Amino acid sequence: MVVNEFPQITEWLFGSANNPSAIYIFFLLILAATLFGLFFGYLVAAFRHGPTEAFYVVAKVVSGAGPDWLKLSPRRTFAIAKLAAKEAIRRRVILIVFAIFALALLFGGWFITGAENPERVYINFVMFGTQMLILMMVMLISAFSLPEDIKNRTIYTITTKPVRASEIVVGRILGFAGLGTGLLILMGIISLLFVWRGLEHRHQIATNENNEYEFVEVDRNETGRRASDDAILETRTTQDSGHTHFVEVLRDVRDKDAPKPVNMDAVIREIPAGDKTIYERLEIESVGGHTHKISVEVDSDGTEDLAELLKKAKFDISSARGFFRARVPQYAEKLVFYDREGNAKSRGISTGDQWAYRGYISGGITLSRAEYYFDGIEEGLFDTSDKLPLELTLGVYRSKTGDIYKQIRVGLQFESVNEGEDATGDRYVSEQLEFESEEFSVQVKAIPRTLPGQKFSASGELLENGNFDLFEDFAKNGRLKLTIRCLDQDQYLGMAKADIYFRATDKPYWWNFFKGYVGIWLQMMIVTCLGVAFSTFLSSPVVMLAVICTIIFGFFSEWLQKLASFTIEGGGPIESFVRLITQENTSRPLPEGIVRNIMTSIDSVFINMVGAVTQVVPDFSRLDFSDFLTYGYFVDNDRLLVAVFISLAFCLGLTILGYFCLKTRELAA
Amino acid sequence: MADTATDKAEQAEDKRLVQTNPDYDPSVIVETQNLSKVYRDFWGRQKVRALKALDLEVRKGEIFGLLGPNGSGKSTTIKLLLGLLFPTSGRALVFGQDASETTKNERIGYLPEESYLYKFLTAEETLDFYGRLFDMPAKLRKERSDMLIEQVGLTRSKRRQLKEYSKGMTRRIGLAQALINDPDLILLDEPTSGLDPMGTREMKDMILDLKAQKKTVIMCSHLLADVQDVCDRIAILHQGDLKELGAVNDLLQVSDETSIRAKGLPQSAQQEIEEVIRKHGGEVLTVENPRTTLEELFLNIVRESEQRPGRRAISEQDAENGEN
Ligand SMILES: Nc1ncnc2c1ncn2[C@@H]1O[C@H](COP(=O)(O)OP(=O)(O)O)[C@@H](O)[C@H]1O
Ligand SMILES: [Mg+2]
Repeated sequence: MVVNEFPQITEWLFGSANNPSAIYIFFLLILAATLFGLFFGYLVAAFRHGPTEAFYVVAKVVSGAGPDWLKLSPRRTFAIAKLAAKEAIRRRVILIVFAIFALALLFGGWFITGAENPERVYINFVMFGTQMLILMMVMLISAFSLPEDIKNRTIYTITTKPVRASEIVVGRILGFAGLGTGLLILMGIISLLFVWRGLEHRHQIATNENNEYEFVEVDRNETGRRASDDAILETRTTQDSGHTHFVEVLRDVRDKDAPKPVNMDAVIREIPAGDKTIYERLEIESVGGHTHKISVEVDSDGTEDLAELLKKAKFDISSARGFFRARVPQYAEKLVFYDREGNAKSRGISTGDQWAYRGYISGGITLSRAEYYFDGIEEGLFDTSDKLPLELTLGVYRSKTGDIYKQIRVGLQFESVNEGEDATGDRYVSEQLEFESEEFSVQVKAIPRTLPGQKFSASGELLENGNFDLFEDFAKNGRLKLTIRCLDQDQYLGMAKADIYFRATDKPYWWNFFKGYVGIWLQMMIVTCLGVAFSTFLSSPVVMLAVICTIIFGFFSEWLQKLASFTIEGGGPIESFVRLITQENTSRPLPEGIVRNIMTSIDSVFINMVGAVTQVVPDFSRLDFSDFLTYGYFVDNDRLLVAVFISLAFCLGLTILGYFCLKTRELAA
Repeated sequence: MADTATDKAEQAEDKRLVQTNPDYDPSVIVETQNLSKVYRDFWGRQKVRALKALDLEVRKGEIFGLLGPNGSGKSTTIKLLLGLLFPTSGRALVFGQDASETTKNERIGYLPEESYLYKFLTAEETLDFYGRLFDMPAKLRKERSDMLIEQVGLTRSKRRQLKEYSKGMTRRIGLAQALINDPDLILLDEPTSGLDPMGTREMKDMILDLKAQKKTVIMCSHLLADVQDVCDRIAILHQGDLKELGAVNDLLQVSDETSIRAKGLPQSAQQEIEEVIRKHGGEVLTVENPRTTLEELFLNIVRESEQRPGRRAISEQDAENGEN
């Protein structure tokens, strides 16, 4: 999953060095919209009533707005909301939408197969489906409501009552939002049940031809699988839901007074041996992101041979675990790459792919490395206090052909960061931890809490060699530097900021699921407001078109903003088109001359226009948390709050737009 | 009780208006000054001049009729008074306020040309909904809607959806919704359109009833009889121009004709009377046995058949005719 750069809520709201304040932008937009509205309103009025009379007309509309909002009556508003909802239900759109949803779930389940992270496919499927159906539904019901009322003239009997334009607009929005919310809750609950039912499965321990359990010696030369270091025997489970798990027997040697294994039900034998205890225990290997809990019962009738003993054992394998995760990654604040000569770079070494999301470091004896700077590393974030889970997803680029199965070795080193006030503190540097990278899969490394390393004074003199504590020594001020190196000559390791993080204690899954649906709900609210606002001055088909365009714009707004800030290779639309025809490479500049100048200046006008539009179109990708749920990451509160603020701003703006359009509209004409 | 409450509110409102506007006369309910309306198309091009410089004044407690052929601008005038249309020039004042003010609607009831109501609601739900739009509390809504349903004679079908209603029933529920707030000014657009003679008569009676309650009514119609029967004053519109304005009695009186109706007079007496008229220099225009109007005849038949329902009514009459 690509995690975009994300500012903190306060930074976002009040602005920082490279992000203008969202509040500031909001007020700027409101101001611009007000001025534009006044100007446009005046023009229309002047056309109708002449330039001087127009002034009074505009003044009257503006001064009427105060009472219309302040004296808004809840009883009237809710009466209109209720009626709007009733009318929408009668249109059967909801029924159809729900039927499509039900059918999709009934038949969609057949097509979801595969052992590798099936929960991603399931969650992505239900969330995408729910999102599309809900947005379509509120768009349809809101696009038809007001225009139908005006066409049928039922609006005559409404506006000749003491009903204010504000009440008509707000009432409708509330009515449709209420319906949408109800349907969304229903779809959310059904989706959760569907996903849970679809993923739920159990295994048995597989048996051989003679119907016996057969545990065999671990074959360490088998490719494509790595057994645990202390595994002595292994077998497989039955194939269920399209996959099997390896079941290993581990020989787990622990100090006598060290903590016992977590799952004591999986222990076959507990053998005391001097000041150690040997636990022979079972472990199920996880497959595609999930595992099971195993327990075993053996008759200790004197059989010494472990494999024999296990033949007569009773096993119990629980239902799947680990599908429903809400991981909380502690990302680095900053990532710095260093090239072979040791110069800091904001991007890594180029491996030829311009669009690469990862930056690369080169291997061997060079100064090339990547440094991750973490902040806010505290003991309270992790529940397993003796180990810190570090999750890595590393890309590999091989410049030297060789054994492609041979994995590349990676070195990790921790160091304290002393800057500013802490500059005089002691500095800790750990020894390098080495391991082999597993390409393109999430690797979980349990970093021990105490690491061997060295302690330096602020002036750089070595004070002590020894074991130091990650929380109390290295990250005393919450900051930590992680240096990553590629240890193999002529190979490259690729990484991005979001690729390496400490995994704090998971959050409850239902809470994350709820947040994901809040995202859909916010999108729904914006679409409802869009539909209602547009329907105050457009006819239903045009409203639908406008809403669909806005949604599409909204989903691509990030890309469009990039286009507007001219960072896309190959220039604007006209230049790209020329390149497309002439088959010119996108990175080579076009030949100088008048043609190019004309082309780029048209492009820049276009791009500026697009840039202006992206400012007033909601950025739906910021309200869309389905990727978080799909990949099992926790939606952080800052993100959710920003989404809430964005939606609030748009809903407010659209409601006001709808109000003025309805207020100034001649309904009987 | 409700009446006194609204009267008080009305007086307070009037007082406020008098204070803010020294020209305000509480006895003038509706006033139009040079009111004109031009319908335009999307591009602002002129389509129809529906109303030309209308000056009117409707006073408290009167029934005012707008009379004119189809397309003469009656509905346009009413919509301008309600703020559903914006005047092209001139002004429309209702209760001394501009017609575009929403607050004036508190005291207005409106029955559109056709009852534009939500077809999926029942009569009860309809009245309850419109009651809510007046911010009426639940108890008052229930009271008013029960009373009005009774009054317009829809008690038996009050739980049926409006889409099942006949034209006449739709008209009745339309009137009921216009009266839900016990308005002081009622605007009726073709109140009798689509009604059978019975319904027409009932509608007219209800309008006269409103007059008895000191309400002001503005109605428009192209049916002369309706207007003649209920209106105090009328304005005749044609192609957007005001052609005639005045009290119905004055307008219809033919001052140089006299009619005499008598009963049980022998043929000879008629000749004598004709001679007397000639002696005085008058001219006898017609001498005839008066006929009842078709409307009255029809109403009589229907009333009779209601008292004795079934086909019997006709066969009995046939039998009587046969005996004679
Ligand atoms: N919404 C409209 N757009 C254009 N012309 C209209 C509209 N409503 C009415 N007219 C025209 O205005 C004139 C007056 O209409 P109206 O006031 O409805 O007449 P009526 O006296 O029958 O109620 C007619 O010629 C009609 O065609
Ligand atoms: Mg009409």
